[in-house]
Amino acid sequence: MKYMVIIYGNQELWDSIDPAEFQQEIAAFDAFNKKFYDTGELLGAYGVADAAATKLVRLADGQPAVCDGPYLETKEYLASWFLIDVDSEERALAIAAEVPSAKARPVEVWPILHEASRETGVDMGVV
Amino acid sequence: MATSTGDLLRELAPQVLGVLMRRYGGLDTCEDAVQEALLDAAVQWPAAGTPDNPRGWLLTVATRRLTDMLRGESARRRREDAVYLATPPAVLVGASADARIAGAGGPPDHDDTLTLLFLCCHPALSPSSQVALTLRAVGGLTTAEIARAFGVPEATMAQRISRAKQQIRAAGARFTPPDAADREQRLRAVQQVLYLVFNEGYTASAGQWLQRTDLTVEGIRLARLLARLLPGDAETAGLLALMLLTDARRAARVTPDGALVPLTEQDRGRWNRELITEGVALVERTLAASRALGPYQLQAAIAAVHDEAASVDDTDWAEILALYELLTKVSPGPMVSLGKVVAIAKVHGPAAGLAALGDLAETLSANHRFYSVRGHLHAMAGNPREAAADFRTAARYATNIPERRYLERKAAERRNSER
Repeated sequence: MKYMVIIYGNQELWDSIDPAEFQQEIAAFDAFNKKFYDTGELLGAYGVADAAATKLVRLADGQPAVCDGPYLETKEYLASWFLIDVDSEERALAIAAEVPSAKARPVEVWPILHEASRETGVDMGVV
Repeated sequence: MATSTGDLLRELAPQVLGVLMRRYGGLDTCEDAVQEALLDAAVQWPAAGTPDNPRGWLLTVATRRLTDMLRGESARRRREDAVYLATPPAVLVGASADARIAGAGGPPDHDDTLTLLFLCCHPALSPSSQVALTLRAVGGLTTAEIARAFGVPEATMAQRISRAKQQIRAAGARFTPPDAADREQRLRAVQQVLYLVFNEGYTASAGQWLQRTDLTVEGIRLARLLARLLPGDAETAGLLALMLLTDARRAARVTPDGALVPLTEQDRGRWNRELITEGVALVERTLAASRALGPYQLQAAIAAVHDEAASVDDTDWAEILALYELLTKVSPGPMVSLGKVVAIAKVHGPAAGLAALGDLAETLSANHRFYSVRGHLHAMAGNPREAAADFRTAARYATNIPERRYLERKAAERRNSER
């Protein structure tokens, strides 16, 4: 069963962290990633760039129109996410609790519903 | 009968690994060596023809691969270790290189395969690791095939398998059958793993497709293997029967576009009679011979009652209810209770079913099957509003897309019938 574990944050929050502490935080995340890559449960760990680098694409009369900024006018944005594959929801929650930043801020755990197959389903038996 | 190279290789894989393990010990290196030999064969045999003695061919190549690995290993150690002492390879792998070398006088292959199954389903491993290792070491599947079946990257699956091997080594497990005292429990673990393989294929726990036939096929193949290894074990026969009787409905369970069709709405003409006949015969034979009925035999017996009924209305629900009463005694759990509730509703009416739900609303408060069952009971009782609400909630908790769509459709139908 796959889950997405999501951390939210914003620039203000990252700026408020003391640089030495920030290094520790990064090391803690590296250790977290290694630990769960090694167990074969972490499929990927990703972080987004600054919100300032975000572009928004809309279609205007069928033509893409690009402008700056995230879609939502929220205080906190999607910052990092982890894709995990585990035996149970219990296990997903236990891993989420080990995300280093969980000490300070909550993390979200979303079960993954849809995973589009790269193949046409022939191998998967829905014939 | 034409057997494809893949089928032959998967059949021979655990036998060859068993021989290597008995001679040299060390699951990690032996398994890697066999895997490489299998890959060599998969490339060479279709081109050059299957050798006259395929098992001997694999054994020779795997042994050569193992020797190469051990040489590489000892060379690495020599480089790393300043005070290197000439150590024989057998000691390097911490082997149980016993006297019964060269296949002479050793136990027959089927004992090796059984020992291998016990080892792969070692209690030190998590269920998903047991499954992955069993599929590779006993099933002879490649890491890429296992990764694809479970929808994870190959690197992740490789990591899971290699970690599982490390854990087995760390647990000090040896290539010997479990003690008599542990055997029963260890056998349950093996059965559980095979059932997990089948079930993941039958109702993929998440994703776009309701069924992944490759895993159901592999689950059945391994259950047949286990049944051959343990012909007298009633629960193993029950497990195989349960798989056959469930798989028999596969074609009727989905529409051509992948939508779920529940048991009650299935075209029973599309059920696989051959599998049903085989499954029912197995159930009858084991029920007659068995003194203490285990959970797989009982679940298989329930599946047999469904499969033998010409229609939903012809189903012997009283028999199913009686079987669920027994199942509740030997293997209690919320999902068993939920199945029993359905049987109660069919025998004694929906009000009795709703009353029997009891505290399941609490234990299964985030389970889509609970809301789906309660929705059906409300629909039977003529409460379309409650039924619609329950189907809606069930859809929200479902993680398999066809199941979710089916539940959404049921919710919409109830809302419409209300108008």
